[in-house]
Amino acid sequence: MKLREFAYSRSGDKGDISNLCVFVYDDDNWDILRRELTVEKVREKFGRLVKGEITRYELPGTKGLNFVMTEALGGGVSRSLRTDPHGKSYQSLILDIDIDADTEIKPHLG
Amino acid sequence: MSKGISIGSGSAYSTDRLDWAQELADSGLVDYMGFDCLAERTMALAHVRRLDDETTGHDQRIPELMRRFAGFLGRGGKMVGNFGAANPAAAADDVLRGLKANGVNGVRVGVIHGDDVLDHVLDQDLELPEMGVTAQAIAARVVSANAYIGADPIVDLLDEGAQFILGGRIADPSLYVGPIAYEMGWALDDWDKMGTATLVAHLLECGTHATGGNYVDPPYRVLDDIVHLGFPLAHVSDDELIITKMEGTGGAVDIGTMKTQLAYEIHDPAAYLTPDSTADFTQVWVEEIGPDRVRVGGATGRPRPDTLKVLVGVDEGWKVVTEISYGGPGCADRAQLGAEVVAKRLEPFQSGIDEIRYDLHGVSALFEGQLPGGEPAEVRLRIAARCDDRETADAVAFEGQFLWMGPAGGGGVNTQMAPAIGVTPALLPREDVKLITEVIDA
Repeated sequence: MKLREFAYSRSGDKGDISNLCVFVYDDDNWDILRRELTVEKVREKFGRLVKGEITRYELPGTKGLNFVMTEALGGGVSRSLRTDPHGKSYQSLILDIDIDADTEIKPHLG
Repeated sequence: MSKGISIGSGSAYSTDRLDWAQELADSGLVDYMGFDCLAERTMALAHVRRLDDETTGHDQRIPELMRRFAGFLGRGGKMVGNFGAANPAAAADDVLRGLKANGVNGVRVGVIHGDDVLDHVLDQDLELPEMGVTAQAIAARVVSANAYIGADPIVDLLDEGAQFILGGRIADPSLYVGPIAYEMGWALDDWDKMGTATLVAHLLECGTHATGGNYVDPPYRVLDDIVHLGFPLAHVSDDELIITKMEGTGGAVDIGTMKTQLAYEIHDPAAYLTPDSTADFTQVWVEEIGPDRVRVGGATGRPRPDTLKVLVGVDEGWKVVTEISYGGPGCADRAQLGAEVVAKRLEPFQSGIDEIRYDLHGVSALFEGQLPGGEPAEVRLRIAARCDDRETADAVAFEGQFLWMGPAGGGGVNTQMAPAIGVTPALLPREDVKLITEVIDA
């Protein structure tokens, strides 16, 4: 199942750092999100887009994860030659990650 | 009766729309409006404008702003914004002119000077970690340096009776933290209170971004109306924090829009650094209590950082972007061939090209091949370069345009060229930034 089926996201920028937050539609999927959406999975999906580190933080109060990716915006918003220097579209790429826990997950759309 | 403040968001960037913000100001729902007018690069671009003409470098919307918000100010509403950008004095002049032109009398204007720290950055030869050099090493290219300033001078000016407050690089959340701290009587070193004020500020500072902007993703995330988004507003009291928006506007203030805004552009949620506090959002909760109405809480804080973040503007030469489209069978191959031909033709200019990239829109421009797709019906080749000088940038533009002459079927050439101004962060000890507040009675 794609992450998009049960979670939503937003990306933001500061300098050459992109952050990506991910929240579950249904709180019951929070433990699955925490278990399954690892730094390794994000690194695999983003590959060459991220030249630096990826750090994962938790927001237990709102049941969300925040991935902070350094050297991820082509040198920083103002220097970058990328079509999308802010990495606004990254929030859509992360939702393409495959999560292998189909039986347990409650999808957002029945 | 407990104290309270109602504060609305009026702008999230330098060209944000003021018409919907005016609706909120005129609704009578808020006593204060905050206006963030700067993105990371806006400040450096403002300095470039000022170098051309020393009477500019401030927010160009001030005449429109004063026309639209004359009524709000006339009713005693208070406004706080970083309208000064690179030239707070010129912004203050425009504000005074605007007040007069719109017949608003008796408004005390507060101006914050001193965020321009270019001399400090060069004298102290500050490290520029993202560029891997110190300031002096690239001194000839450093065009600006502004420190992010916090809520302190805003509170001081409100205390002096200022009704319209402007400055240069006031940090986005501080535009709201200042009024909240002042009205609630919260001490600026009560760190949990500062964390709480920062939470409210963070949910307001991005304007319609928090009410449904950058959010809808059908069929998963759907809102009834995103044509006319409402700006967010907050009601803060000692008992609760409410975020909502004007009735009759589109978008939504709900758990989804609030959570995505909560984590927008924060790094470690246990240590969100602003000039006012080290805020901790890990235990923040959001509760829907009515249509487009949420209660939030759970933020805490620790002492503010001893350093202030500085954004240093750096002259990066010229940026050029040239594009051409190909369609039909084999279009991606032809676009790729076009890129290879241009790269070959530009070899004599290599020494003047700092960086160049070739992207295929429709194939790999956003994700650089990390999300493979099938054969596209059409593709747009985009060539983007940062060059040391205008002549080299012209050569890139010329070769991009010459793709008219093949590979076959290239159409719709478009070229853009502009001076390239980069910004890069640095840190300055807080005590080195000497802020001066000025009060002017209109």
